[in-house]
Amino acid sequence: MPDPGRRKSRRGRSAGWLFISPWLLGLVLLFIFPFFASLYWSFCRYDLLSSPEWIGTEHYQRIAAEIWNGDGFGNALWNTIYYAALSVPLSIITAVLLAVMLSWRIRGQAIFRTLFFLPSIIPLVASSILWLWLLDPQDGLVNHLLGWFGAPPQLWFQGTQEAAHPGTLLEFGSKDALVLMSTWGVGNFMLIYLAALGDVPPQLYEAAALDGAGRGRRFWHVTLPMLSPLILFNLVLGLIKSFQAFTQVYLVSEGTGEPVGSTLLLSLHLFLAAFQDLEMGYTSAMAWILFVVLFIATILLFRSSRHWVHYRTSLGG
Amino acid sequence: MQKSLRTWFLLALPLILAGSLATLAWITRPQSEIPEGREEVVFWHFWGGTDRAVVEDIVDRFNHSQQQYHVRAVAMPGNNLDMKMFLAVTGGDPPDLINQDDPIVADWAHRGALMPLKEIATEEEVRQLQDWLFPAARELGSYQGQLYGLCNGLDIRALYYNRELIRERTGQPAPERLESIEQLDELATACVQREEGRLTSLGYLPDPRRLWAWGVVFGGRFTDESGKVTCDNPEIVQALQWMVRYRERWGADTLAAFRQGDQSLPGKTFPLLAGRYAIVMDGQWRVRDIPADRSRECGVWPLPSPAGTSRQAEGWVNGNLFLVPRGCRTPRGAWEFMKFWSGFGGREAEAARTCSQGGWIPSSQQVVDQPQFQQYLQENPLFARFVQLAAGDQVPTPVIPGARMYYREVNQAAERALYTDDPADAGSLLGAAARKVQQHMDRIQGQREKP
Repeated sequence: MPDPGRRKSRRGRSAGWLFISPWLLGLVLLFIFPFFASLYWSFCRYDLLSSPEWIGTEHYQRIAAEIWNGDGFGNALWNTIYYAALSVPLSIITAVLLAVMLSWRIRGQAIFRTLFFLPSIIPLVASSILWLWLLDPQDGLVNHLLGWFGAPPQLWFQGTQEAAHPGTLLEFGSKDALVLMSTWGVGNFMLIYLAALGDVPPQLYEAAALDGAGRGRRFWHVTLPMLSPLILFNLVLGLIKSFQAFTQVYLVSEGTGEPVGSTLLLSLHLFLAAFQDLEMGYTSAMAWILFVVLFIATILLFRSSRHWVHYRTSLGG
Repeated sequence: MQKSLRTWFLLALPLILAGSLATLAWITRPQSEIPEGREEVVFWHFWGGTDRAVVEDIVDRFNHSQQQYHVRAVAMPGNNLDMKMFLAVTGGDPPDLINQDDPIVADWAHRGALMPLKEIATEEEVRQLQDWLFPAARELGSYQGQLYGLCNGLDIRALYYNRELIRERTGQPAPERLESIEQLDELATACVQREEGRLTSLGYLPDPRRLWAWGVVFGGRFTDESGKVTCDNPEIVQALQWMVRYRERWGADTLAAFRQGDQSLPGKTFPLLAGRYAIVMDGQWRVRDIPADRSRECGVWPLPSPAGTSRQAEGWVNGNLFLVPRGCRTPRGAWEFMKFWSGFGGREAEAARTCSQGGWIPSSQQVVDQPQFQQYLQENPLFARFVQLAAGDQVPTPVIPGARMYYREVNQAAERALYTDDPADAGSLLGAAARKVQQHMDRIQGQREKP
């Protein structure tokens, strides 16, 4: 005799599958299939119009040569690492500092919070155009402001200099302009920190104060450790986002990576290889390398987190 | 019982939602404008702003003239029109016709994504068309001896100059014609202006993207007869070396800073009118940016060649092309519309009207000769200079597979030469670009030649 309970649970399971079937279908067709297909194509010569032709590791050899010569993929990889290495920490530091300042109980707190959050909801296209104007080497507002302080004008989007490079130290070029642009949109990160700051138990600050800790020490020993899980979250997210940065680069360089390939980030390089040069196999190989690099970086970040991330435990008592 | 009802309701919910959406979509569906018995021709183009109105007018005129076809024009952002078209071909649902100005004819034709015109027009029509077109227009649409695209407008470059500025800074009236590159250099130097020791205006600054034009004026060619990449030939290297002298004189940073905003920033005044330069190389489309009350201030010179050399070419040209993707539904309708727009097949008067409306350079002398267009040229003498140049010896941009990469690599080599402080010499930079592009081309050729 059939067990009615079992039948019911089977029917429940079927309904469950039915409900998630549109999502599952999308997952298989739009994610899992392209994911594995691109792995196969990375070993093929493929232009979408003709059948893929197996060529072994030719694309990977080409990429290795480009990394060695600093050309093509190598140049794009360097640009992306430079951009990520500066923009991610800078965004996190800016967001944490803004969140801390905006948590102070001052007059007009709500207005300041809104003002600092607003840039993050401005469309990237609009803000990119705005930054092009602001950072114009001849007529831009930023160079005018620098001039007031006696600083020399910078080339920003027109320069190939790298402010963090010893050879061109503090000469700001196109990648530095992109980094500056990225800090403009830290509102989302800031909001997360702001919420977390409200959640820090006041007794920790009280205890620290009783021990004689000043503002700086309280920030360093209480606020930062309490924010550290979120910093890790934003670090991973920011890293992935910076490796995928496309819109702003496409807009400021008119889709070319100009000047002299200095704004050619990986995503733009992939786009040009795929849709202008019609090299889907080579693009797939690059995408896989990008995936592996990000995967390893994320694992390393998580591994390192046990040394600097403090998860909250019960305060006891 | 209640639980069972709830389960049914939950199961039916997606169906209800899907049904509602489908109903809504049906109610709000675009009403078909295709008259009974006509075949639709889907036309993708990139024209916006005032140009879009011109395009819509042409489409209306064509549709009124037709009993068999009806064109539906779809305006799209120009940047990625080729990518959209490529994906549409791959997906098996391309438009019937697209307009494109990027150098993609050979790439697509090589991969079989385009229909050669001989498949949609009669043999006689194709033969007549070849004679009818300006030589440059014919070459821009041809790949491996076959016509794949019909050029509907040429883009010609020349030097715009500001008469007032030249007179003010040199104390002499601007010459009617530049005799040589050296004369351009002299004027460029004489027109420099400084304020408090800072350069505020220059006579002329070469733009790396213009190496294509200067290269051919110096006597170079970007491909040889077999289609091999030759951007490192001595004349093109010489052209880049000449451009580099401006960097050596003013510094890489000055060149880069001055270039910013000339073309990329929306809403900026034409640098010639803003007083930023006395001389600028640009195309005929810039004529529209010069207000009528200031048009007397400006003039146009053909590109000069180096002194003591015989003139090899008037300049470098590219253009807009009509292309018919393979797999489209109404290629014959697309062909009829192409003829109507370009003027081929006895419709020159219509095309003259079109080109006058849009400020476009026709692809055939027969359209230029139409009274309406001649009238337009009389009213627009600056534009007329460009049309005269179009009929001259203009070297078309190479129609080779991988042309987009070629364009990028040559520009990047020129940028490196002009905007970096200690670059390799011009020959090495162009040599490296030539090798890279040739490798890319060989890969493309190899892919197709294999059985």
